[in-house]
Amino acid sequence: MKTDNSLPLEYGTEQNKLNILGFWIFLGAEVMLFATLFATYFTLEHRTGSGPAGAEIFEITPVLIETILLLTSSFTIGLGVHAMRLGRKNAMMTFFAVTLLLGLAFLGVEIYEFTHYVHVGAGLQVSAFTGILLTTLGTHGAHVTVGLFWGLFIIMQVKKRGLTPETANKSFIFSLYWHFLDVVWIFIFSFIYLKGMM
Amino acid sequence: MSELFPRKQVMGFVFSLVLTAAALTVYFLDVSFAVGMTILLATAFIQAAVQLVGFMHAGESEDKVAIYANIYYGIAIALVTIFGTLLILVWDM
Amino acid sequence: MDYFDRFAIPHPSPAIYASMVAIGLTVIAILIGLTYFKKWSYLWREWLTTVDHKRIGIMYIIAALLMLFRGGVDALMMRAQTAVPDNKLLDAQHYNEVFTTHGVVMIIFMAMPFIYALMNFVVPLQIGARDVAFPRLNALSFWLFFMGAMLFNISFVIGGSPDAGWTSYFPLAGNDFSQSVGTNYYLMSIQIAGIGTLISGINFVTTIFKMRAPGMKLMKMPMFTWTALITNAIVVFAFPVLTVTLLLGTMDRLFGTHIFSMTNGGMDMLWANLFWVWGHPEVYILILPAFGIYSEIISTFSRRNLYGYTSMVASIVIISFFSFLVWTHHFYTMGQGPLTNSIFSITTMAIAIPTGIKIFNWLLTMRKGKIEFTVPMLYSVGFIPIFTIGGVTGVMLGMASADYQYHNTMFLVAHFHYTIIPGVVFAMLAGLTYWWPKMFGFMLNERIGKWAFWFIAIGFNVTFFPMFFTGLDGQARRMYTYSEASGYGPLNMLSFVGAVGLAIGFALIVYNVYYSTRHSSRNIGSDPWDARTLEWATQTPVQSYNFARTPHVDSIEAFWDYKKKGQPLFKGSIEKIHMPNNSGVPFIMSCIFFVWGFSFIFSMWIPAIITTIAIFACMAHRSFEKDDGYYIPVEEIEATEKDSEVLADENR
Repeated sequence: MKTDNSLPLEYGTEQNKLNILGFWIFLGAEVMLFATLFATYFTLEHRTGSGPAGAEIFEITPVLIETILLLTSSFTIGLGVHAMRLGRKNAMMTFFAVTLLLGLAFLGVEIYEFTHYVHVGAGLQVSAFTGILLTTLGTHGAHVTVGLFWGLFIIMQVKKRGLTPETANKSFIFSLYWHFLDVVWIFIFSFIYLKGMM
Repeated sequence: MSELFPRKQVMGFVFSLVLTAAALTVYFLDVSFAVGMTILLATAFIQAAVQLVGFMHAGESEDKVAIYANIYYGIAIALVTIFGTLLILVWDM
Repeated sequence: MDYFDRFAIPHPSPAIYASMVAIGLTVIAILIGLTYFKKWSYLWREWLTTVDHKRIGIMYIIAALLMLFRGGVDALMMRAQTAVPDNKLLDAQHYNEVFTTHGVVMIIFMAMPFIYALMNFVVPLQIGARDVAFPRLNALSFWLFFMGAMLFNISFVIGGSPDAGWTSYFPLAGNDFSQSVGTNYYLMSIQIAGIGTLISGINFVTTIFKMRAPGMKLMKMPMFTWTALITNAIVVFAFPVLTVTLLLGTMDRLFGTHIFSMTNGGMDMLWANLFWVWGHPEVYILILPAFGIYSEIISTFSRRNLYGYTSMVASIVIISFFSFLVWTHHFYTMGQGPLTNSIFSITTMAIAIPTGIKIFNWLLTMRKGKIEFTVPMLYSVGFIPIFTIGGVTGVMLGMASADYQYHNTMFLVAHFHYTIIPGVVFAMLAGLTYWWPKMFGFMLNERIGKWAFWFIAIGFNVTFFPMFFTGLDGQARRMYTYSEASGYGPLNMLSFVGAVGLAIGFALIVYNVYYSTRHSSRNIGSDPWDARTLEWATQTPVQSYNFARTPHVDSIEAFWDYKKKGQPLFKGSIEKIHMPNNSGVPFIMSCIFFVWGFSFIFSMWIPAIITTIAIFACMAHRSFEKDDGYYIPVEEIEATEKDSEVLADENR
């Protein structure tokens, strides 16, 4: 494969450019995936049956912690890509590792949040509202979980193979994925939690 | 690219923290539904744009047009789907 | 033994037992045949692990044809059952299963793979590319589709077929009213195939955006490539909706949520809404590639360039956006207010305008042309009037207030068959006949092909035209029988006669393949139709690397101008060509998906967890794998190209 040195490493080969554009288009599909979940959520938001409404179960503290964790992780992976473009392999790996730790912490708080919901009588099977709430949050959480493993694999590959056009490309694409999860969370934070508690 | 200090990232991060704080006003202050939704829509979409342009470098490569077309198309269809669904099943049912 | 009771069929009949035996014997015969002729390693090396877009395209065709006959048999059973009043051939339950599987098989497992077959084979050649952007993912797409299709097809011998219609509306499809695992089959198998389709969509959009030959600007792409681009863009944005809809349906059926239920706040109408948010764009996913195929064929056999290229492009782009704005017209009668129905009525009628523009463009392309009525051209010319009937009745149905009269009658059934059969089936048969020589190196017999066309065209009209009348008279769709006093008998009998005609037409196509394989000349050159686009500039059969030298494009019809005006097409010398490696992972991963789907269908959680982990293990394997591909050296290319260079010169 020919490598073009005038561009950042992750754009270096033709296949790399294809991968990046292809991943953007995948993110377009993800926009629709979450949009459908949101459409369903908004439709069912007030259809609580005999179960609790959003305002009764949402708690600001864990939600705020989750938001800060995910925003910061989006920042640190941005720093990771910046370090990568400067060719600083160790700094980059550190930032990626911090990102994953923040993601792991996010997941921990989310698991706490889920058990809290089940405790206060808002389990999956209670009402249309709780069903779609937990499915929407769960879909986002599943994306984060997949991201944790994926990110780990990428750190391992960068460690072993160094910053090559191939590993740089993978790292950059992973950063796109992670930022996107943050964007989705912003919408969950605004239109599920804050709107529900308003 | 050659600068060592990640100015863009730091500014983006600070900006998104500010926007998050702004969004929180709907929780801590007593605002009407219409005002609250306006604030949330504004802060959420601006923050998404910050991520997209600042962090994700959407406009940096030769495929800029394709990437933006893809994102705009996705957002347009997403909004049509969400508001269409609400129109059919909630507002006009 | 209780454990195995779940696999029993809830409504057995002698026909199903006979099918079980037939399926068993066929599988055994295939296994023995492969072993006896020592073809296992050939099969694995050349087909199961291939990442070549041309071979994947051919596998799509084989699968689509198999499914066409499966769905066709369902159709014949339905027509036979309703041929006379109070018929006892099928009971209500079996009739429900048959119309459900007919719909699903024809749309998801016949039409979709057929359009992907032709896109796979043709698009990279038309844009002068080596392959698609992600060859490995392309193989995964195919195998996911194939395993989804197989999973769906075993439903009628293990556990029971779905019986809630191809739209599978809740609450009918919920656990209360559909107690067998049939609807689980529907949810899981379409989910698996749908993920494959979504991957294909991403793959083709990237391919067409990034891998066009030098000089081929967007507005210089052949029309089929344009329609493929727009179709795949719709796929990218429509299929995630299906993914979520099926996921939510699965949550309701397997995990007890109340999203589409009638209790605890659930909303059954939401299913209809979400289903059609995907379902209407899906209609255009099917029809747009057909428009592309017709554009290529009509232009080739009229010996004229396509009339109104720019307006053609504009109309497909407009259609792609409007396809997401009309979904409510599938359920005008559901209860939403007049405001909603009015809005969607207007968008529905508006979408007829760009479609009308295309019809006029095809007619004007033929005007003053030297029209040659080959088999592909017959299908294309036959398409225009038949599809127009479908379009006009569509506008009738699009008027919300009038729709209350037509809704759920045979009129609707006639309408959508009048759009889908000329729009998709005719196009696929036309495209298959047109590109057949490029795929297999010989032509299909024209005489038999014409007989097949007339049987299909006349049989189709005899089958479906009477339904307009019975529908207006009030015959409801999806009813397994009717009384003699209703007076529907004679016209339904006529429909059955037409269906037999259609069946004869398809049998003739099979015979044509057999006949032409044995008797057709293999010496047809690389451009037997005197066509206009780049795929005909390659050797026949096409080499694995497609083009030895990358074509350089200066006009919309680069190959035509190369042939007729001597415009140079291939510049520079032959260089070594980079090729992707074959891989067994897509096939193995899809097999795991099959077991995964099966485990969910029967709520077997331990295998479900194991296969979920195995699927992620396959993805992890891919992440760590080093796959740099290989190079074909210049000498090898020069050796294989020797003959074709001569041919290319003769063509000039």
